[in-house]
Amino acid sequence: MAYLTQLDYVKYICSCGQLKPITSLYFCRHCLKIRCGFCICHEVDSHYCANCLENMPSSEARLKKNRCSSCFDCPSCFHTLSTRATLAQPRQPVDPAGGDTKVENKQPKKMYYLSCFNCRWTSRDVGIPDQPVASGGWPERANPFATRINQLLDYYKAIALQEKQEKLERERKKFSIRGKYITLTDKTGLTGAMARNIAGLPSNEAGSSSAIANFVASQASEEVEQLPDDIYTKEVNLKQITSMPQRLASPEWQPASVARLHPVAKLLSVKRSQRCRACDHNLTKPEYNPGSIKFKIELLAYYHVPEVKIISHEPVKPGEKTALLVKLTNPTGHEMQLRLLQPEDIPPVEDREEPRSIEKSLERSLNLEKDASACRAIERPPSYAASSVVATPVGALTLAQRDDAAEYDDDTQHDADHIILWRKSNKLALRLEVTTDASAADGAPASTAFAIEYSYRNTVPPSSTAAHHRDHTLYTTVLLDLGKVHA
Amino acid sequence: MTLYEGIALIQEKQAVVLDLGSEYTKFGFTGEAAPRCIIRSEFWCTTERKYKKVYDYKTPEELYDNLVHMLHLLYFRHVLVNPKERKVVVVESLFTPTLFRETLAKVLFTHYEVSGVVWADSPRLCALTLGAPVALVVAVGGREAEVAAVVHSCVVLHAMQTQPLAARAIHASLAELLDEDNNTKLNLPDHIIEDIKVKTCFVVGRERAARWRSPSWPAAACDVAYPVAGRSAIAVAGRTRELAAEVLFARDAELASLPDIVLQCIMQCPIDARRELAANILVTGGTATLPGLKARLAEELRYLITQPPYESRLHVREFRFHRAPCPENACAWAGGAVCGAADGGAARATPRDAYARARRLPDWVCLLDNTPPHHPHRDNLDI
Ligand SMILES: [Zn+2]
Ligand SMILES: [Zn+2]
Ligand SMILES: [Zn+2]
Ligand SMILES: [Zn+2]
Repeated sequence: MAYLTQLDYVKYICSCGQLKPITSLYFCRHCLKIRCGFCICHEVDSHYCANCLENMPSSEARLKKNRCSSCFDCPSCFHTLSTRATLAQPRQPVDPAGGDTKVENKQPKKMYYLSCFNCRWTSRDVGIPDQPVASGGWPERANPFATRINQLLDYYKAIALQEKQEKLERERKKFSIRGKYITLTDKTGLTGAMARNIAGLPSNEAGSSSAIANFVASQASEEVEQLPDDIYTKEVNLKQITSMPQRLASPEWQPASVARLHPVAKLLSVKRSQRCRACDHNLTKPEYNPGSIKFKIELLAYYHVPEVKIISHEPVKPGEKTALLVKLTNPTGHEMQLRLLQPEDIPPVEDREEPRSIEKSLERSLNLEKDASACRAIERPPSYAASSVVATPVGALTLAQRDDAAEYDDDTQHDADHIILWRKSNKLALRLEVTTDASAADGAPASTAFAIEYSYRNTVPPSSTAAHHRDHTLYTTVLLDLGKVHA
Repeated sequence: MTLYEGIALIQEKQAVVLDLGSEYTKFGFTGEAAPRCIIRSEFWCTTERKYKKVYDYKTPEELYDNLVHMLHLLYFRHVLVNPKERKVVVVESLFTPTLFRETLAKVLFTHYEVSGVVWADSPRLCALTLGAPVALVVAVGGREAEVAAVVHSCVVLHAMQTQPLAARAIHASLAELLDEDNNTKLNLPDHIIEDIKVKTCFVVGRERAARWRSPSWPAAACDVAYPVAGRSAIAVAGRTRELAAEVLFARDAELASLPDIVLQCIMQCPIDARRELAANILVTGGTATLPGLKARLAEELRYLITQPPYESRLHVREFRFHRAPCPENACAWAGGAVCGAADGGAARATPRDAYARARRLPDWVCLLDNTPPHHPHRDNLDI
């Protein structure tokens, strides 16, 4: 829970320069780089309703405008509406001859309405009749402007078509007209043909379709909506007027009065898959079932990159040395060699362009333009200011692989080492010394950064001819938040 | 999923229309009558742990990040489609800063890998929803009121007017009036101010406004007690309700009120278009839904035209108003949806490869783009 609720005291620097906690980072096993939500490519994987957990194929979701057909939101407070049943006595004309012949008709009928358990709004409040079936069948409202917009669409489509034909004609005649204001007038493209139309010039004989001929432009009128006469005398009932969020929940109608509110069909949610931009491999892919929170592919940094946690630290004072206790964890299934260094000591990334197979390099060169431009725009140097410097121990540290069985042992090893505080399975506690700059101001945020060099065993299944199962030396920079400077 | 994507490869994917307003963002598909969502132009910023407005930025990088987060919200929470390989119609003001356009282009093309972007200016799109050849578009939105004359699908660029007379100005004036009513500095958050405005305020007629400025005030509309959680109810006096939006019509020596800029726009247009423009006014933008605003604007225009400096220089007497076939706050968006669908978006879009080569957008203020091909200076501009 601490990951979710607490501030991020430890941040990693993503390969794109963003600072993120380890829980929101990914690790591409193919590029061997840390990635984050900012520098990866998100994709819609599947649509589902978060309320009834019903999957909806994308084509159907598109038809239904991404709305669930059986769930509704309250138009007043946006909580999910519940379907409630009532028994309605069917009204029957009183039969003077005695009623035992139609007993079965007198059975009370179950009727349904929608009700909000949060704000007590019901579909009866706005006069929507109760429905005989529990789900679906609720009256739909048509957009009042749909007809006119469709007329406009037909009109402009016809004009665009006509213009296209004219253009073809012109090209055929090798007749070029260069307008003075070409970039200005040609932007929406409806210009030439429309101007011709307005000027009453004969348009292309084939192009003057019925859509153009029958179109009636909007008519301006002298009249504008006036204020209602009773506005100065009428008491304002705030409960009868909708708020902006209530209006905008249905962009087509935007009701101003509470009496015009209508249940809002629930917007679907999507499951997203994520892809590395550099190599196009999936980083996460969720399971299709909406009820499942598992992933088919889940390349999270949390499973691949050594995790750093602050155990405790002394208050940071300007010009003084303070102790900092951190815990390092190896999440991988392989032994890890670690070394701490100063962030500036990370060797510059040499172009590790290995000899590739021909088809791979060809593929790369095809994608090169896209890759280079995309990465350049997204990557940026990390911006952080560390007030303190960590004295990094010289030697390498060894971290055992993760062993789920070892979780139950309780034999913490206390090393005699003055740097390693204790060691337990794949975890290691370090005592580090932090030197703070003497000029640090009282109350300024205190932080420190260090880099970790770690060995990583690549376990990508052997797919290509390239040697697999190789050991790599990777680097990552960690930024620790040490509270405030205490003078 | 696979079936649909397969079809989409053959057909063109339905493009999206993006109208990133200073207060509200409208987003949806081309060819539809209404946007799929109208949401505040803000997103939850995890590092700052607060809602952050897209237009609050100090550096280009910050703007880039803001746009990335906003578009993520729009694509994956509201419209639920992949941005990749899909065209976008961007509805933009002609006053959009170059930095903003360029950054938006960068985000769309490189971060979201859209296949093409149609840049369309809002006055022309608003006029498109009317189908009328000549229109004077008065857009009163979140930050600015913009007046632009559209004559046969061309915006009369030199006549465009803009003033910070929109929702922001009304909110500031309402906040001041509320402080007076309650004899204290209330420091209400913006969404409460907006809610008070939406639920209680309206625009009074010309004569009544004049009486409010005179020593003998008219009998005010009813007072309202606006309840706020965790504090005593806020008193909203009738006078406040009536005068909150007066700031749009306040005339000073600079003649910068809303009706003034409308008349100035007409005045700076070619003489043969003026009469037509005055007879084809379209008032749009979210603020235009304030009760009485259109009526007051009409009244002011009809009065001011009889006064100096306009009576001698502007010989129009008739003002007529259009009604757009969509809610006022989504008018430019609807124009974008129609334009994008009619065009197929194909012809006018800046395709991604063209952007990747040029790394800049055509812009009406740039000499590279607005110097005619045969102009003597053309050769001195290198592209
Ligand atoms: Zn990243
Ligand atoms: Zn559902
Ligand atoms: Zn409710
Ligand atoms: Zn990768």
